[in-house]
Amino acid sequence: MRKLTNGQFAWLLMAPGVALFLAIIAYPLVSALVTGFFEQSLVRPGRTFVGLANFADLLGGDFWPVLRNTLVFTIGASVIPFVLGYVLALALNSGLPGWLRGVFLFPWVIPAVVVSFLWLWIFNANYGVLNGLLGTEISWLGQPGTAMAAVIVTKTWSSFPWMMVMLLAGLQTMPKELHEAASVDGAGTIRRFRSVTVPHMKGIAGIVFLLEFIWNFQHFDTIYVLTGGGPAGATKTFAVAVYDTAFKGFDLGHATALGGLWMVLLLVLMVFYLRKEAS
Amino acid sequence: MTVTLSASVPTTSARRRKPVNRSRVAAWIAVAVIGLFGLAPVYWLVVTALTPDERAFSFPPSLIPTEITFDHFAKLAENQQLFGYLVNSVIVSVITAVLSVIVSAYMAYAFAKFRYRGRRSLMHLVLASQLFPQALLLVTLYAVFSATGLLGSYTALILSFTTFTLPLCVWMLKGIFDTVPSTLMEAAAIDGASRWRTLHTIALPLAAPGLIAAGLFAFVRAWNDFIFALTLADPARQTLPPGLVHTYLGEFQTAWPDLMAASFVVSLPVIAAFMFLQRYLVGGLTAGAVKG
Amino acid sequence: MNTLNRRDALRLLGLSTLGVTALAACAPDASGGAPQGDTAAKAFGFTSWSLNEEAQKAAVQAIVDGYAGNEGVKITTASFPYNEYLNQVTLKLRGGQLTGAIQLDVAWLGALAAMGKLRDLAAPAAKGGYTEVALSSGQSGGKQLGLPWTTGSIGLIANTALLEKAGVDGVPATVAEFEAALRKVAALDGVIPYAAATKAAQLKDILPWMRTFGSPLLDGDTITVGDEPSVAAVEWYKKLYDAKLIAPDVDRFDARALFAQGKAAFYDDAIIARGVVASQAPDKSLADKMAPLSRPVLKAGDSPQALLWGHVIAVVEGEGADAAADFAAYATSDTATVARFFEQVKLPPTTTAGLADPKVSGDAFTTEWTEKITKTATANPFWRYAGYAQIETAIAEQVQAVLVGDSSAKEALAKATETAKGLQK
Repeated sequence: MRKLTNGQFAWLLMAPGVALFLAIIAYPLVSALVTGFFEQSLVRPGRTFVGLANFADLLGGDFWPVLRNTLVFTIGASVIPFVLGYVLALALNSGLPGWLRGVFLFPWVIPAVVVSFLWLWIFNANYGVLNGLLGTEISWLGQPGTAMAAVIVTKTWSSFPWMMVMLLAGLQTMPKELHEAASVDGAGTIRRFRSVTVPHMKGIAGIVFLLEFIWNFQHFDTIYVLTGGGPAGATKTFAVAVYDTAFKGFDLGHATALGGLWMVLLLVLMVFYLRKEAS
Repeated sequence: MTVTLSASVPTTSARRRKPVNRSRVAAWIAVAVIGLFGLAPVYWLVVTALTPDERAFSFPPSLIPTEITFDHFAKLAENQQLFGYLVNSVIVSVITAVLSVIVSAYMAYAFAKFRYRGRRSLMHLVLASQLFPQALLLVTLYAVFSATGLLGSYTALILSFTTFTLPLCVWMLKGIFDTVPSTLMEAAAIDGASRWRTLHTIALPLAAPGLIAAGLFAFVRAWNDFIFALTLADPARQTLPPGLVHTYLGEFQTAWPDLMAASFVVSLPVIAAFMFLQRYLVGGLTAGAVKG
Repeated sequence: MNTLNRRDALRLLGLSTLGVTALAACAPDASGGAPQGDTAAKAFGFTSWSLNEEAQKAAVQAIVDGYAGNEGVKITTASFPYNEYLNQVTLKLRGGQLTGAIQLDVAWLGALAAMGKLRDLAAPAAKGGYTEVALSSGQSGGKQLGLPWTTGSIGLIANTALLEKAGVDGVPATVAEFEAALRKVAALDGVIPYAAATKAAQLKDILPWMRTFGSPLLDGDTITVGDEPSVAAVEWYKKLYDAKLIAPDVDRFDARALFAQGKAAFYDDAIIARGVVASQAPDKSLADKMAPLSRPVLKAGDSPQALLWGHVIAVVEGEGADAAADFAAYATSDTATVARFFEQVKLPPTTTAGLADPKVSGDAFTTEWTEKITKTATANPFWRYAGYAQIETAIAEQVQAVLVGDSSAKEALAKATETAKGLQK
């Protein structure tokens, strides 16, 4: 047997993954993107090539509010759980009993759909427990501002636990001596956090945040169940808009065109990110 | 030596006792506040599950239940269908996790330990694919599965879940293999081990905690999926998230207490498994993630 | 030797990209084509969301088992959650995964008819003895695509005990009287006078009110939402909303729950309401206090508006279609079967004989409902468009924008109509 070069060996290792990737990700994606140039309905056979018309329609209207909602949701639902998870991880790392950590996993393993129903139940304007506790009659999900906040709170609730677990894991690999040395040097808690903990945690914190950001960017379940994108489109993000257009409006052309615009946006972000990483 | 050390100990601890206590208090406060946010909804879930149907909609709700019933839990025991959903969820999520970890382990190893043409672009493509809109993939996947006769099968579910678990696992595992020192492999090569053997006898065992951690993440992502399962599974192979919705949210009625009882019960085994396995999460992820 | 050089690798990459793209470009249009399969096959499927509704599944299963036993056929049942049902049926129909009989909401018929896969059931419809209004609920584009299973309407329901307590005497017959009644009820503590739908999902409940105010909604193929009467209706809704006579964030589930708690005096629902509300109500006598009423009219003498509502059974052309059509006829028109079904689930039958059955005619609530509401019920004109749900959503979202104060009624409805026009296909 002729010995393979390292490159060939690597491709051999990757073969199953690449095959799978092409079949279930690349092909469906490309195929969907091609549809963006057609007028095609889910309920009628056949399709007509319409060039860039679908894209023009979207850029002339729906695209911008959806983009804004997506960004607000993604940033809010990534930053808040990250902060909560970080604080909690720091707290749990300071010698509190270990079983506490397990307790916090509960929200994470309840299926996202059920989490959404639970919060739907809590936020209900007319008999929800939140209004009951506060003695208010606020329509949390019925007004644009509070609806977005409610969606973010719900997503925060279901994602801060895993961020905590990851960050705590990072904290536990931090050599104790670093902190001790710093405190011998007279550094206070905050100083030590900034000069010892933050640099040590940079890698894992970045990954945790980035992952959550990426997931939120295309998150669907919470918003779909909680508000369906409403009220008056105030929580309609890309994922919800694409799904609605395709499966409620049966308009595959516009749905995939919106997906295409979304992809272009991602591509720009990615090139930007890679540039930065390279420099 | 001993003398100086023992002499310095009391002073250090005396100087440090106060801040330690203060930060301990701050820690407890943080845990309590976040704990309230994290657990109050769980408490409410349980309370709702114990509330009789006709009291479920009273307002203002009583925070401490005045009247409790175990009917909703008793009804669960009789619900064969729900048990079927649970079994399906376990089967599909476990296979998805195992498949994703195996396939991505090889892929990630190639990314981490070899330098070859196409590596960078492919790597970026795979990582970026986590961002691809699921709703978009769904349209074509549906057509593909239906054309190949896979629609409704476990295979269709597993493959569709793999669209998001594969990139995730590749990403996590690449980080982990990056931390396995290449010198170990070089040493093995010098000892005459083939690349194949080095991979299996040295790299994989070293990465084992990471493999388990990646598997757990894949498991949870698969366990949580709603859209793919709803669309691609036939009723007999339906998983829990659509199954729960299906069972309790109908055209005419939302059975909140029943839904809450069911959610609580089906979450318990997963939490138990996580409590048991979380040390792998800790051990496995830090290795890869800290170095990034 | 075996090393791929750079050019080869690039070529390979290019080729595979090309291949994927080519595949992508031609493959996705897998729909269409002639129906396949043996129409005379003795086994068929029955897809129905009612098979998963707690209150109905036993009764529906009994019909399935009854027919399968009588005729010696095999019926494979399937189900999807109601809220996802139309999407799922559409997808599966498109992919050719769905055969046999399917339960449909009357609102969905137009959307599915566009796919051209449903069988014309004119022959069994003619033999079944269905009422005129019921038959019309199963028609789309001049074809009888569904056999009516139950026909009712979405109408107003009042809690008579609450009205009495608030000092409202008599049933409000005009919009002005209705509003006056709501204001009286508002004086009661913790009661929402009218639990009207204000969440987008069911805000389409405003359409009958637009008609009440005099908008035809659709004139020929011209959407008239945005005309004066419809704007007046939305402004009236907004007035009720601001005066807290209707509550924010209410959908049909919430409305039922509120009504069941004795916290709402009026709400809109289908005839099934009584059973559902009664099961949730702490007050076991609530069912007796529920009364259907004709929707108030703008001025005395107008015809009250109500939305036609119901379920039909359609048949997919192809494998097992003959037997499935026979099953559909049995389930919807066999008098003993429909009477028993009514007894179990209180969904009114669609045949003259079924309605005359003592089990049905003896039920006061149902007869009153049929008399006061269903009699004048009309279909939503948008149902004939495949994109009807999106049209309704477009209107609902804009009305919601008015309610939350983002937009004026005139502007909002003009915008809704603009969006809706693009969806009239």
